[in-house]
Amino acid sequence: MTRAIPLEAVLVVAAALFCIGLFGALSRRNLVGVLMGVELMLNSVNINLVAFWRYLEPRFITGPTFAIFIITVAAAEAAVGLAMIIAIYRSWLTVNIDSVDSLKG
Amino acid sequence: MFQITDVPRILPEILLLVLALLVLGSDIFERWANTDAARLERVRASAQLTAIGLGMIFLIALVQSGYVYKLPETAPTNFFTNILHNLQSGGPGQRPIIGVFATDDLTMISRLTFIGAAFLTSLLCLDYHPTSNPAEFYALIIFSTMGMCLMAGATELVLIFLGVEMTSIPLYILAGYFHGEARASEAGMKYFLFGAMSSGILLYGMSLAYGFAASAMGGNGVANDLTQLSKIAELSRQGGPLLTLSMVLIIAGAGYKVAVVPFHGWSPDVYQGAPTPVTAFISTASKAAGFILLFRLLTVAYPSLAGSAILNANLGGWTSLLAFLALLTLIVGNLAALPQTNAKRLLAYSSIAQAGFILLGLVAWAAPQAFDRSQGTAALLYYLVVYTLTNIGGFGALAAISMAVGGDDISDLNGLARRNLPLAVLFAFCILSLAGVPPLAGFFAKFYIFMVAWQTGAWWIVIIALFTTIVSLYYYLGMLKAMFITAPASEEPLVAPVGIMSALSISVLGLVILGIFPNLILGIISRVQAVAGI
Repeated sequence: MTRAIPLEAVLVVAAALFCIGLFGALSRRNLVGVLMGVELMLNSVNINLVAFWRYLEPRFITGPTFAIFIITVAAAEAAVGLAMIIAIYRSWLTVNIDSVDSLKG
Repeated sequence: MFQITDVPRILPEILLLVLALLVLGSDIFERWANTDAARLERVRASAQLTAIGLGMIFLIALVQSGYVYKLPETAPTNFFTNILHNLQSGGPGQRPIIGVFATDDLTMISRLTFIGAAFLTSLLCLDYHPTSNPAEFYALIIFSTMGMCLMAGATELVLIFLGVEMTSIPLYILAGYFHGEARASEAGMKYFLFGAMSSGILLYGMSLAYGFAASAMGGNGVANDLTQLSKIAELSRQGGPLLTLSMVLIIAGAGYKVAVVPFHGWSPDVYQGAPTPVTAFISTASKAAGFILLFRLLTVAYPSLAGSAILNANLGGWTSLLAFLALLTLIVGNLAALPQTNAKRLLAYSSIAQAGFILLGLVAWAAPQAFDRSQGTAALLYYLVVYTLTNIGGFGALAAISMAVGGDDISDLNGLARRNLPLAVLFAFCILSLAGVPPLAGFFAKFYIFMVAWQTGAWWIVIIALFTTIVSLYYYLGMLKAMFITAPASEEPLVAPVGIMSALSISVLGLVILGIFPNLILGIISRVQAVAGI
């Protein structure tokens, strides 16, 4: 197995992606943008899992299995999320988080 | 290896799946008219099927657990004892199924709690709004219940994740179910966004834990098993920053699900905006599932990082982190409830505050003696069961009121006693139990959890918790005052649906019985000490 790229480098990429995703999810005002941020967070987890698997225990299949489950569930989650954005748009005529604020106190 | 004899052990989950599909299918096969009366008929049909099915599954799970009646070894063999024997062979106390799903006492008790909560919720929505596809609504409740059962029994990271998502995704949909109402879609959206973000954080923590275990194993074993993780953490003493980071991220992710304070932002909005029976379900079963998950994850995978919650001694580890969160939760939850004018929102803050009390049961894990730790577990579970009954009752009463009056502000409660005395009395029992007034179960639950936390050495939280309990009396009594003293807006009697009244009666009966005879379930709950893998 070639070790041209050390494990740490991959983990740093995943951590950076996670932080970008978290920042996007928290700072975006458009609901679709928030959803994209959440997807980035989930994908950084996938990178982490596959990297740990490839570098540390390539004889088992836990890492990729976990990653495939995450991809599947993320797809289901995105479907629900997009459906909700459509429902929001129908009743509020906007997808901006700041305008959807009837509940507070 | 999965064996055919493992099937009875996951029978409740299988039955829940079958019931959910049956409920979905029962609506498809019928050709119903499109009038409002016909729609209400469809709602009733699906709701009755759900309620009856969940009731039967609850009974099967109860018989299977053997808590009420255990078939003796010497029983004569006939048709019925054979069935009973096969059913009870899936009872508590065997190795986890293929290493991922434990059917120990913890799973059994939480299963009963979740299925019971789902049963009461289905009673609450027997007469709810007619919608275009009523069966979906009930099927989603059952799917979510199944996810909770998986979450409670999972002893491995992948299944935990799947359980969490299977619980949450139906709940996101349920929270925003009634499209017509702008408030509901907003609540669903907020629940979804916070939930998705929290599962991302939880997952990142899990991936770090997996990486830590994989590197420590050096490729000689499965690295996603919780017990393995604890052994490795034990071996490498404290585990280093990677393991601690994964633990903090997991606590943050699960903290969202149970709405403890820095992560509670979503819950008042969601509880207020969601349909009230769904609020009852989210605030009880989903929160209880989150606590069971937190308990199993922390005690099975991270016992070596438990630390201590004793002031002046070495603070550190997850117990002191949780003690800090409990402190914040108690103070913020109770103080924020004071100025509320909406009854649903008030109960939402009250349930945040209750989460603070429940966290104290986990803090008890800091105790050096195993006896105190098992006491903490028993107190935690007892509180969860009581809290589930109480909040389903409370939100159920609010559902009846908002259906009749059309609003859920505290001013809508005015003079309830004169308009519908039984409803007002049952609601008052739930509120008094939340406040912790003596003869009711809420008092004993609080007393027990305070006692355990005090013995652990976390007396500083107990004192503050007592103060916040006194603060909480103010808003609980404010609701009672509105119901019994303030004059009503109109004298006409308020009609409460039969389903809601029966669910309310069941939960209040449970509260009174458990309050007077806590030993009824304490004996069962205290068997949980042997969590799989410890």
